[in-house]
Amino acid sequence: MSALKKTHLFSFHQANGKLTEFAGFSMPVWYKGIIVEHMAVRESVGIFDVSHMGRCLVSGPQAESFLNYVTTNDVSSLNPLSAQYTTFCNHNGGVKDDLVISKLEDNLYLVVYNASNREKDYGWLKDNSEKFDVKVEDVSDNIAMFAVQGPKAESVLQRISTQDLSTLRRFKCLWTEIEECKVFVSRTGYTGEDGFEVFVWDTSLQDPQKAFKVWNSILSAGKSEGIEPCGLGARDTLRLEAGMCLYGNDLTEETTPLEAGLSFVVKFDKGDFIGKEALLKQKREGIKRKRVGIRLLERGIPRPGQEVIVDGEVLGQVTSGTFSPLLKVGIAMAYLPIEYSKEGTEVKVKIRGRLVDGTVVKLPFYRRLSENTVYLMGKKVSCPVGDWETLRLRLKTIENA
Amino acid sequence: MSTEKYLIPESLYYTEEHEWLRVEREYGVMGITDYAQKSLHEIVFVELPEVGTEVQQKGMLGTVESVKAVSDIFSPISGVVIEVNEELIDKPEILNSDPYNAGWIAKIKPRNLDEELKRLMNAERYKQYLASLE
Repeated sequence: MSALKKTHLFSFHQANGKLTEFAGFSMPVWYKGIIVEHMAVRESVGIFDVSHMGRCLVSGPQAESFLNYVTTNDVSSLNPLSAQYTTFCNHNGGVKDDLVISKLEDNLYLVVYNASNREKDYGWLKDNSEKFDVKVEDVSDNIAMFAVQGPKAESVLQRISTQDLSTLRRFKCLWTEIEECKVFVSRTGYTGEDGFEVFVWDTSLQDPQKAFKVWNSILSAGKSEGIEPCGLGARDTLRLEAGMCLYGNDLTEETTPLEAGLSFVVKFDKGDFIGKEALLKQKREGIKRKRVGIRLLERGIPRPGQEVIVDGEVLGQVTSGTFSPLLKVGIAMAYLPIEYSKEGTEVKVKIRGRLVDGTVVKLPFYRRLSENTVYLMGKKVSCPVGDWETLRLRLKTIENA
Repeated sequence: MSTEKYLIPESLYYTEEHEWLRVEREYGVMGITDYAQKSLHEIVFVELPEVGTEVQQKGMLGTVESVKAVSDIFSPISGVVIEVNEELIDKPEILNSDPYNAGWIAKIKPRNLDEELKRLMNAERYKQYLASLE
């Protein structure tokens, strides 16, 4: 077995966290614990080292047309200092990866993809770039990447940022300085909360001082708010509550963005792109199955691979499942035939031989919309930060309705 | 990791799967060890056997789950489950905070206690066993 890769912050993780292997990296699964970290992000603010993710710069006169060819969303709609969520598809319309593209300036883009697909994506970009006048440069090891997430993320980051963050809208970006280090900040995330992703420029794995400076600066700025460093465990439970896909589980080369409920990132009117024909055909014929949310009505924790049964028939399997630290119930995502994908469909999940009752719900399970409003099972409900008991009661009334 | 980090009460018997057994006059009480709860971390779900269930030594008795992991609980002795700790259903975190007392899992009326105790470890041997796992 080859040695595990490390991020800039490895010594911090080793000293403070419980380490695990993820996508070939040695990463923290938690520091204090998944639930504590999860709740810190829901109630205040948490910081994640996500430098294991793949990052590359795409530049050149044909950068836009190249990216438009390899992704499904419309890159030409991006203004400078804006970001968009999108997918790479294969020629059959299957998802090769999901990713975020930020336009730094005309002819220069930052592309961020999953750690588990670093080599695959870079190779895919390189191979497809040959017909275009572009340069694709892997900068994963020269730019550190942190996520600062939660209702207090803005106020904490503002304390140390030279630029005003209050006017930065979701999926917009800016350049600023933290501790005299050049950082690129986008208002994006993977938690269902307001938050930012912070890219620390020009800091190599061999020379990680800038990465440490910014990380430590955010930790001290957030101290009064109870900031927690968060591991991959909380990252997974947070994104799952927020109904977001994890590549390899909820998205694979055998699922299309249309089946995954990501048709908003497929723009058929933008010209040719890889997978367009297959996806157009699927759109015309209609999808046969769909990604759904399932919430358990009995005690139990669904896990990936477990069977989903409707009317006594196995119709799908759990792609992601967990105990929801916020709602305190079992939640899962699965692909089900379209006729069984409607909200309220009664399902059973087979958990180690036991059939546990569940119901199909609208996604997200939970996502914060504003200071006083959240999505709960896809419905807007009022819920100030911290009023979780009311939210859990509300969940019971939804179930009885 | 050092074994000093784990509580290993003297008077109990231990299994290789990290369950403990306390022998009372009429029955045995069992639960999971400090090492088990620390390895699982943040226990959020417990599945208990029904009272009256016949269990075998080293046979499945229930499951405990943390956010990330599932772990089976095995019975340290053969017999009949005469009582389970229902409090754990709503407060599984007791297994983390007090694994040897409030966190007891089941009481078992033994069938072949003297013979089966020979196959369990005492505190000293369990301590050595934990050291060997590192």
